[in-house]
Amino acid sequence: MNSAETEPLRLTLPLSVDVARSLKVGDMVLLDGEVTVTAGFVTHERMIAALAKGEPLPIDLRGQAFFHMGSNCREENGKWLPNYVNPTTSTRFNAFMPTLIRELGLTSVGGKGGMGAECVAALKEMGCVYFSMPGGASPLLSNGAEERLETGWDDLIEQFRLSRYRLNGFGPVTVAIDAHGNSLYEDLQQAAVSRLPDILKELEATRLASSTNSTR
Amino acid sequence: MPITYDVIRQAACDLYGWSLKKVPDDTLDALAAARLTETNPTSQRTLDFMQAAARAAESEDRHACSDAGFPTYFVKIGTKLTLDGDIRRAFVDGFAELVDTIQPPILKFITHPLTMERSYKGKDMPIVSFDVIDGADYMEITCSPKALGSGRWADLKIFSYPKIAEIEAYFMECVLAAGSQHCPPVIIGMGIGGSFDHAAKMAKQATLRKIGSKHADPMIAEMEERLLVAVNKTGFGPMGTGGDTTALAVHVDYAHGHGFVPVAVCFNCWINRRTAVRIDNDGKVTRLE
Repeated sequence: MNSAETEPLRLTLPLSVDVARSLKVGDMVLLDGEVTVTAGFVTHERMIAALAKGEPLPIDLRGQAFFHMGSNCREENGKWLPNYVNPTTSTRFNAFMPTLIRELGLTSVGGKGGMGAECVAALKEMGCVYFSMPGGASPLLSNGAEERLETGWDDLIEQFRLSRYRLNGFGPVTVAIDAHGNSLYEDLQQAAVSRLPDILKELEATRLASSTNSTR
Repeated sequence: MPITYDVIRQAACDLYGWSLKKVPDDTLDALAAARLTETNPTSQRTLDFMQAAARAAESEDRHACSDAGFPTYFVKIGTKLTLDGDIRRAFVDGFAELVDTIQPPILKFITHPLTMERSYKGKDMPIVSFDVIDGADYMEITCSPKALGSGRWADLKIFSYPKIAEIEAYFMECVLAAGSQHCPPVIIGMGIGGSFDHAAKMAKQATLRKIGSKHADPMIAEMEERLLVAVNKTGFGPMGTGGDTTALAVHVDYAHGHGFVPVAVCFNCWINRRTAVRIDNDGKVTRLE
């Protein structure tokens, strides 16, 4: 694990499976290269439906990076420049992500809050990592998003479209689920559950020792 | 001179806009204090990043988060002021004005609960609740936009004659269910007692209290203190990737009720959006935060 003092790794998207598998939970990474993003539940439904019918997606995602992010852009001199980007909650898409990871052979996914156990299994199987991005830190995170290169499914509202961005020093993001089945979220959840009996005992002890001595 | 529709519409517009681009000072102080005690290196870095991002949002006039959420307003009306015009309408129109004028634009987040259709308008939107301040000749308006990330982990349960231990165990159950999801370190509100709806309102309003303030009742103040320690022992940490700082504050309030005891728990993400103004009867607007 990097310490607060060490520099984050710098990697270019899309990752190769080898690079994805070389990353470990807790690694901090700055990202360059290209990523496709969306914040849309309906977009995920549409992606699954297209794959089921064998139809191409408007942006080719095979072997690529796919992040859960909302975004907004302005046009200047024929270029689409980001006003802001920011991660959205990935667990909203738990039902779709195992299929998308497997069928598209994604090598990195990202968002905030992690993903469920079936997603972790798909990441491990395909050699794909999950990057956690800081939510609510949009001004700094957005500085690493250079340009929106294209969008697909433009009938959807802006944050739901598939949008391909070029990144330059995006992050740092944290490898929160690695391609070996290790999930920081699962570890932390299990640790919290195992600590709970002691936490509750301590709450009781503090209650009994309190000045108001609330014994109910 | 009465407080007019125009003054309130402008305040509703301004409050929502300010809250998107400024992390409250008490929250920044709490993040800085947490950074001093945080022992996890990744979390130290995350807390640094959060503070720098909050400073950039304010100094560069940028959105702290891409999710502008939806505005909720808490209005306290002095019983000695006079009002002129459609006051409920002023909030609807102020919100619409913000949507039309803010730069960069906000995304469509107002969601129909059944069709999931998104827009900038909707039934009962924005959510405004009114209360009174006896004897005052001014009103206070607090705006707290609610986004999906922390909003979806709120919970409420009805107990019958619960022991305090049961209430605190339920609180911890909610904390574990939210886990890493709600953009920690969070501010947690808990409302105990009253009716179903009042408990939820107390929990929400408890999150609006300034960090560092204590409940006036020592029994509740002690509960807040021990629950904060308990939450931070779970280890979820900043952005839920591990660490000592899962919550910046736990704020509890209670109300008398009738034997059945609703308990509501809700969360504000680390940017803890909250702005407030006081409007005097002569129309003078003072920004409180």
